[in-house]
Amino acid sequence: MSTTLDIQLVEGAARPESVEADVAITALRRTFGAVLNETHLDAIGVPVATVAPGSVHDVLTFLKTDADLLFDMLVDVMGVDLGGGRPIQVWYQLWSTQHGRQLRVVTHLPVSDLTVRSVVDLWQAANWLERESYDLYGITFEGHPDLRRILMPENYDEGFPLRKDFPLRGRFGRPEQVRRALSRDREDVYAREELALAGMLPDSDDEPVPALDVPGDMSPEDLTDGLEGERMLVNLGPQHPATHGVLRLVLQLDGETVERCIPHLGYLHTGFEKTCEYREWNQIVPYTDRMDYLAPMLYNVGYALAVESLLGVEITPRCRVLRVVLSELNRILGHLLWLGTNAIDLGAFTVFLYTFQERERIYNLHEAYCGARLTTSVTRIGGMLADLPPGWTAACREFVDGLATTLDESERLLTKNSIWLARTLDVGALDGETAINFGLTGPNLRASGVAYDVRKARPYLGYEEYDFDVPVGAHGDTYDRYLVRLEEMRQSMRILSQALDRLPDGPVNVEDPAVILPPKSESMASIDSMIAHFKLVMEGLQVPAGDVWYSIEASKGELGFGIVSDGGSKPVRCRFRGPSFVNLGVLAHLSEGYLLSDLIAVNASLDIVLGEIDR
Amino acid sequence: MSPDTRSLPIVGDSALDTGVPRSWMTTRLDYVVNWARRNSIWPMPFGTACCAIEMMAAAASKYDIARFGMERMSFSPRQADLMIVAGRVTYKLAPVLRRVWDQMPQPKWCISMGACASSGGMFDNYTIVQGIDQIVPVDVYVPGCPPRPEGLIYALMMVQEKIKGESLANDRLRMESPGSVGRPNLPPEAIELVAQPFGNSTRQNRGSGIEATSAVQQPRDRIERLIEHRD
Repeated sequence: MSTTLDIQLVEGAARPESVEADVAITALRRTFGAVLNETHLDAIGVPVATVAPGSVHDVLTFLKTDADLLFDMLVDVMGVDLGGGRPIQVWYQLWSTQHGRQLRVVTHLPVSDLTVRSVVDLWQAANWLERESYDLYGITFEGHPDLRRILMPENYDEGFPLRKDFPLRGRFGRPEQVRRALSRDREDVYAREELALAGMLPDSDDEPVPALDVPGDMSPEDLTDGLEGERMLVNLGPQHPATHGVLRLVLQLDGETVERCIPHLGYLHTGFEKTCEYREWNQIVPYTDRMDYLAPMLYNVGYALAVESLLGVEITPRCRVLRVVLSELNRILGHLLWLGTNAIDLGAFTVFLYTFQERERIYNLHEAYCGARLTTSVTRIGGMLADLPPGWTAACREFVDGLATTLDESERLLTKNSIWLARTLDVGALDGETAINFGLTGPNLRASGVAYDVRKARPYLGYEEYDFDVPVGAHGDTYDRYLVRLEEMRQSMRILSQALDRLPDGPVNVEDPAVILPPKSESMASIDSMIAHFKLVMEGLQVPAGDVWYSIEASKGELGFGIVSDGGSKPVRCRFRGPSFVNLGVLAHLSEGYLLSDLIAVNASLDIVLGEIDR
Repeated sequence: MSPDTRSLPIVGDSALDTGVPRSWMTTRLDYVVNWARRNSIWPMPFGTACCAIEMMAAAASKYDIARFGMERMSFSPRQADLMIVAGRVTYKLAPVLRRVWDQMPQPKWCISMGACASSGGMFDNYTIVQGIDQIVPVDVYVPGCPPRPEGLIYALMMVQEKIKGESLANDRLRMESPGSVGRPNLPPEAIELVAQPFGNSTRQNRGSGIEATSAVQQPRDRIERLIEHRD
């Protein structure tokens, strides 16, 4: 009945001094010397190996299985188009949970032949990530079991949106786009496989399954016998309260049992990555908090850190601690919303009201700091939008002290509640190895017993100086995911109290006129400041050419930023690796064989946010 | 909210004994119908993104739209009076939005909550509908990114005001043509006009080179041309 939480820690390995010194690169050079084209360290010191397209699968198989390397987690697959007919790159971002090592494998595909072998047979996580690259870049992954569009409509015919030759507003005019959107037929909204399941594939000769001919004198038992083996195709969403937004699931049911679950994404595909290529570095900050609007500041902080790593800017001590405070506050904010909506999905309304009361308190802190309740945009490259207003830290401390009571109250309502236990215990259980294979991160992975937390594995913002634990579950079921998140909120409270105690005085922004605007009083008084102000406003912040894949621990898991700069005032590529996009990939695996109502519980426990999944 | 009985001419008051039984009252039919309609609006929350979180906040403990008779969120369009479109609507979601609207029975109203629903907001790109009024008719637009819960509550009260002025005798008000089902709400020329890009926000990518878009319109040009078009 009771699930214990045992605390484990994984300490990260140091990054290599030079690319030659890296173990993985050395091993690759020894085994694949002929196909290894180029190696370098990226802006944060992650080794990057460029290999020929034909040998990607062999190289990745070697990296995954070699006993000294064991890169068991595929964290990200992303495309990069540099424009001008240059080859399109595919990045595979790897992580070894055994050795605490990062590695990136890159391959360059000529535009005339955008084909590479799929790695779904190595990592389940590659399934959706490769489909996304196919959808947005048109890269064909040979051997992929289900290579069709994932974010755009099934028959989208304007092209591949993230290619540089694709215009930001699409190829068709607005009236045509509206007309096409409203005249979609069923081949645009169902996969061919689903139409086949329903017997509605247009070019097949199969007649649709005729309605059951029930003679009037049949008894109910006869009727059941007649229905043995009958399957029902149910469409859940995109407009459904239990899908946490606009997720759509096509379910094949046998009675109430889910036999197949086919998720459809993209109903909230907002084109963030494309739009950000058209914005200056600081203009992207407001876009980041509209992706995960449940914990917006984590996105703000992560993006700023990623760009600062390219710039090589060291932020001030006050800014470091302030960002920790805001990150942990938003981790609590995100987990509170998850707790409330998860409880609603399972029929408990009170918890929602309790948690929203606490969220309103955090919103008040947000408002006092930046004026907005949930689209905060607090970070700037090299600092924050402003220093804290007077009295803010005291108000924050007051909130932290009060939160414990609410958490206890919510826990009293749920943790030993017999309905809650019946709905969550042993529902959607996942073992650690499978979770890693699916690329799960964050509380979902830790509930399955893998103590991988970016704050511990690759500390940023000085997280190694704080005293906190990483809660880990034992069974990986829905109940464990609930316990882990509750404990995480308590750990965040611990970090918050420590950070508020040690918040140093001093400036919050770096004193670099090429990065941060000078104060208004100075730019009107001294010619130097005025020139710096003019250059920064007219030319924009210039970020040196380079590439980086930076990640932080967001409330939902590992949040990655894959950024390529050509030295200009706008990114060439701005990739957001949303943790819930990869986490949701496990839903079909977890829910098949369970009841339809269990699927709702599992989906709620994964803590997804569609803004980040569909981007 | 209790009915504003002071405005109802009550017959049978003790001060004026006319012999008519006290359980009777007279009023205008429009007044009674509108009173009933506006004080128990059942919203259909079409929430997609950030605005939906503020909509949840409006329904939660602090703002509590139950005070306006609107806490009964109707997730089925068949039993809803008011569609609140909260968040960005993509072209992939547009047919769903139109279908939900077509499934709602008359009388029905629509609130467009936030910048994205009203105009596409900060996303002038290949996937976002540049204002849901191209898809469905809108009664109240709420500005903000996202609007505060107070903003949404004010919009709900504006819908109540609008209902006050309606009349059952006006049979054009609630008429729907079956031919409009699943069709855009605006003709193509009007969509072209309202969806022009502002400023140079859509043509500043060095990587892809300059792309061809039509001439940049100033807001006043649009309004004038839109008025011309409507004439």
